[in-house]
Amino acid sequence: METPQNMISSSPGRIYLRPMILSDVDDYMVWATDSKVARFCTWEPCTSRDEAIKYITDKVLTHPWLRAICLEDDRPIGYILIMPVDDIRKEIGYVLARKYWGKGFATEAVRLVTAEIFKEMPEIERLEALVDVENVGSQRVLEKVGFTREGLMRKFICIKGSVRDTVMFSFLPSDILK
Amino acid sequence: MEIDLSRVTLRPFELMDAHDFLIWAGDDRVTGNLRWPVLTSEEEALAFIRDVCLPHPWRRSICIDDRSIGFISIFPETGDDRFKAHIGYGLSHEYWGKGITTRAVSIAVSQVFNDLPHVLRLQAFVRTQNKASQRLVEKIGFQREGLLRKYTYLKGTIYDVFVYSLLSSDLLPLPQSYSSQIVL
Repeated sequence: METPQNMISSSPGRIYLRPMILSDVDDYMVWATDSKVARFCTWEPCTSRDEAIKYITDKVLTHPWLRAICLEDDRPIGYILIMPVDDIRKEIGYVLARKYWGKGFATEAVRLVTAEIFKEMPEIERLEALVDVENVGSQRVLEKVGFTREGLMRKFICIKGSVRDTVMFSFLPSDILK
Repeated sequence: MEIDLSRVTLRPFELMDAHDFLIWAGDDRVTGNLRWPVLTSEEEALAFIRDVCLPHPWRRSICIDDRSIGFISIFPETGDDRFKAHIGYGLSHEYWGKGITTRAVSIAVSQVFNDLPHVLRLQAFVRTQNKASQRLVEKIGFQREGLLRKYTYLKGTIYDVFVYSLLSSDLLPLPQSYSSQIVL
């Protein structure tokens, strides 16, 4: 079966990635309103559907590279994104609704993106991820995919007014996916 | 030639430093691994002091007998990231290898957390080949946090760097009997 442009799927096809659309708003609110999901994110939990529509319109749909993580029924359970740091470095980030934690979906999504992104963006020399020192689940995701844990950077990131210790991970085009 | 390190002082730059500034800032051995422009005349040095050094949040001339022989900069990031600051330094080639930069950085570190109280983290990204700088920051008490691969892009080349940090909380006062051992 031909894979439409902009869709990335894993085999055996548990999840696939596609651009977010405004009509994803109700699924988006499942994770965006959850303070446990927002804990290590820069954003505060969303409090209304109007707020969600505004955020999707202003920040999500305009993002240079963001994909909804979808199950077979085409409904998003989270999203994954690539942010430019400078001309040669990009940062990967992802968020998943709590109901789907602990099942390997984030690992699959990160593996899919890491496998494809260097072909799509050949200028990348370094893909990095910054994970809060207490976010052990996310650290395991990156280690399972084959990212290198480079070190603990003390008081490196300010999240919602609080300065946090952060673990730095990287994946280079020459690295091998696990 | 040994230098009495008590002659080493830090002060803000002045326009009158232009001549001495050009001697070391025009030397590629000193500024080659920095993001500074090439300076080839006293006019350019004067403009650089006036337009870049004087408005800088924290840049000091390293002086011997009040003559400029180098610089130290502490550069906080902007916005929400202004709690972390990058440290950089350079010294006239003639004065290398005498402990002057180490002494100057030690003085800077003792001042900067008071001068810039919102700064919680000083960081240095030192290229893996730059052993002299690694020894320097380690002597001051910076902690090496890790090796960042392909992290820095400078003048056409991508480098692996060691990331070092010194936190304001690393320098909390110790009992009187230990205070002389904190910093070289």
